[in-house]
Amino acid sequence: MNTSFLLFALLNPLFALLAAPLYMALIRKVKAYAQGRKGPKLFQVYYDLKKLMKKEAVYSPTSSWVMRFTPYLNLSTLLVCSLFVPLVFVPEPAGGLGNIIVFLYLLALERFFTALGGLDAGSTFGGMGSSRSMSLAAVIEPTMVISFAALAFVLKSLNLHKMFALTAGTVLPISPTLVLVSISLFIILIVETGRLPVDNPATHLELTMINEAMILEQTGKNLALLELTHALKQFLLMGILINTILPIGLSTEIDAGKIAVSTFLFLLKAGLLAVIIGLFESAIAKMRLFRLPAFYVMAFFFSAVTILIEVFA
Amino acid sequence: MNILLEALMYGAIAALISGTVLPLLYRSKNTRKTAFGFSLISSVLLLGFAGTVLYTGKEPVFPVIGFLPGLDFTLTADRLAAGFILLIAAVVPGVSVYSVEYVEHVKSEARKNLQAALTNLFILAMLMVILAGNMVGFLIFWEIMSLSSLLLVLHDYSSEENKKAGFFYFVMTSISTAFLFLGFISLFRLTGSADFGPLEYPAADLALPFLSLFIGFGVKAGLVPFHKWLPYAHPAAPSNVSALMSGVMLKVAVYGFLRFLLSISAPELWWGVLIITAGSLSALFGVIYALKENDIKRLLAYSSIENIGIIFTGIGLYVIFKVEGLESLALLSLVGACFHAFNHALFKSLLFLCAGSVVHTTGTRKIEAFGGLVKSMPVTSALFMIGSVSIAALPLTNGFAGELLLYQAFFQSFAVTDPLLTVFLIIALSSFALTGALAAALFVKLFGITCLAIPRSEKSRLAEEVRKPMLTGPAVPAALCILTGLFSKQLLSLAGWEIEFPDMLLLGLLLGLIYAALFLIIRSKETSPARISETWGCGIPTLAPYMEYSSAGFSEPLVMIFKSVYRTKIVNRAEYFDKQESLFKKGKVEIRLLRFFEEYLYIPPARVIDSFSKYVSKLQNGKLDSYVLYAFLAVIVLIIATGGFV
Repeated sequence: MNTSFLLFALLNPLFALLAAPLYMALIRKVKAYAQGRKGPKLFQVYYDLKKLMKKEAVYSPTSSWVMRFTPYLNLSTLLVCSLFVPLVFVPEPAGGLGNIIVFLYLLALERFFTALGGLDAGSTFGGMGSSRSMSLAAVIEPTMVISFAALAFVLKSLNLHKMFALTAGTVLPISPTLVLVSISLFIILIVETGRLPVDNPATHLELTMINEAMILEQTGKNLALLELTHALKQFLLMGILINTILPIGLSTEIDAGKIAVSTFLFLLKAGLLAVIIGLFESAIAKMRLFRLPAFYVMAFFFSAVTILIEVFA
Repeated sequence: MNILLEALMYGAIAALISGTVLPLLYRSKNTRKTAFGFSLISSVLLLGFAGTVLYTGKEPVFPVIGFLPGLDFTLTADRLAAGFILLIAAVVPGVSVYSVEYVEHVKSEARKNLQAALTNLFILAMLMVILAGNMVGFLIFWEIMSLSSLLLVLHDYSSEENKKAGFFYFVMTSISTAFLFLGFISLFRLTGSADFGPLEYPAADLALPFLSLFIGFGVKAGLVPFHKWLPYAHPAAPSNVSALMSGVMLKVAVYGFLRFLLSISAPELWWGVLIITAGSLSALFGVIYALKENDIKRLLAYSSIENIGIIFTGIGLYVIFKVEGLESLALLSLVGACFHAFNHALFKSLLFLCAGSVVHTTGTRKIEAFGGLVKSMPVTSALFMIGSVSIAALPLTNGFAGELLLYQAFFQSFAVTDPLLTVFLIIALSSFALTGALAAALFVKLFGITCLAIPRSEKSRLAEEVRKPMLTGPAVPAALCILTGLFSKQLLSLAGWEIEFPDMLLLGLLLGLIYAALFLIIRSKETSPARISETWGCGIPTLAPYMEYSSAGFSEPLVMIFKSVYRTKIVNRAEYFDKQESLFKKGKVEIRLLRFFEEYLYIPPARVIDSFSKYVSKLQNGKLDSYVLYAFLAVIVLIIATGGFV
């Protein structure tokens, strides 16, 4: 392990953990404005998390260790994931961390345990959420793999660190085909974080919800951990998308000034992306569950086309 | 060195023979214990043997035994064989410890002993198939393997369902052997020797042996569309036998196919395409059919079909990369396929053993009747969880490490020059990814419905933890699943494969450290203890089991999404009292899933054979004079056919 990686390993997860909830709030704010409301304050999310952290956990008598174990495991998994995605600074790769397939499967690990947690309390809603979440995740998986394969193909590596080392320093994406793959990445971001038109994060209407249903029985600290996990996941996926399509400012050197500039730029770009997500969500209605595979096929198409263009060009 | 290796090998064989003979001589609990002790000893010896061959690369030469004039009987073990012997050595300890207690549940004393003897014979036969140095020995032990497993499947021959399963298994395994004979004979004609040697022949000459061996081994391994015997045989067989059949026997078929394939210097591209297609279809259909299954052992059987599909996908990738001249990628996919075979042996035997415990305590195989076992059977559930995480290919387990190798091969497959081949590989990759994600959904369903929430039936509510041997047995593969996963990089480099591969140990340490830190920080700030309160049931005071999500309900969305595969048919027959069609007098609604392969592939030829055999049976009228006539006619035909009296 070299110093640049050590520094990265300390700072990147911390940065992601601190900034992630802000963008959950920002999207909420944009949606509120689009609906003519003012919405809660941006920092309300942090207050909510703080409040939940202080509360005791309530468990169902039918639940087991799975429910108690899941929140901690999920947040740890996502924190490990944050070592895979360079956000503002690309270190020299070390220890094989950054493998894009491992990243994908760490997300799968998180999903697996969330789904088990949903079944644990014995509530119908939890089971429903788990069932839907696993089904939809199964159908989006080929798209995710093909998109990441396209990314790996265009950027000539399986390692996210090496990929971003290649894009760092450029203003626009280094290859026009990356624009195509970004569309798939955007759809994956929407699907993986349970946003409209796949799932409505704002609703607690039992019959339509997916992600919310699985964590319905989670309370207090555990709920806070799961909310943080969710925010972190969204932030990391946003990071991949941003550093692929708009890598301007991404730094490869340990230089306080450069990193500060790049952090500022990243927060700005993420803000822009959050506004786009918020507007996208406001403009679209929730799709019927069984219509969703067609939506996924679209993402699949864009990433497959990327590979085909690269192969035949 | 050679003497040590010989001693280990003969020791293992001797132990297995004693394990087979002993329980046939004396009927008592102690002899059964000793018999399983023998299989345990043999696996330890095999571990030493295979480990030495694999890591030193020394290949022992065993003396040749004259068998028939011109047909010798030889034993050999190269690194490929050693790899698969290692697989036996990894699965057998768990199974034999488990069996000590498990066979005691069989009713009669004679049958208990018979099962112990047959289990040892079965292991011995599988070992000898792998060790066989030529086709003669291979086929002889192949048949012993098939027959001993058939007898084990038929252990409870009184039930109609089991009889059918046994018969089906017998027919399929005979078809497999027939194709193997055809393949081996055509190879013999080509080379003039019964040895497995390097085959430096043009691919056109090898097409027939390739196709017949592919079908022969494919039937035994359970490739789609020859997979149907698995979901019949596994529920019928005792769980310890299922663990051996699924864990090891299917891999013996994979081994046979690899032995042939690796001896060929120049395979053709279409072979690889064929193998990948069959592998991907098996993987996809296996998991899709498993999803709708509500019988725990049948579900696991379908999941074996899926995993065999993954292994064959890896083998197909090997062939394609080899033809394309990409040696390092070919090696990567071959190692991936072999590693996945090894991993599947571990986690599938673990899952079958756990399923055996669950079925034994609850007395039913229906998933819908389980639930809440995590409380009543905590250790079994924990082991079951390890198996589920592993087979769902989630990080840190060996299941993930194996699939990661294949993914890495796939992701770099754009190095192939032919654009059409690239398109084919993209399709194969997306099907591979879909399979992986469906497997995760499948095992959330299996573990979640079986072990979590409220017991769904009285039997499940009263379930008790099984006795010690049935816990330590599955604990062995469970521990191996985690260890081989964590040390996957180290093990691969120890075996001499320096592959660019993420360090799972580092990942595990990071995850563990972060988990511990999080846990300690949050626990240290805890002010009030956790509270216990009812699950919210929409105002109903206590939750009843029937309100829970069921196994069929869990897989419903996927059944809907893949309804074109299942050919779901909703049959709705109703008679009405009134004109508004709202009051039923009597009615019936059912959702029927078409059994595609059975209805379109197996039944039609069966019907043809059936009607043909009706005519044949007329010949057999029981009269001696007509039989003499047949014999006479046969002699005449022979004389004419061979060209008269020469």
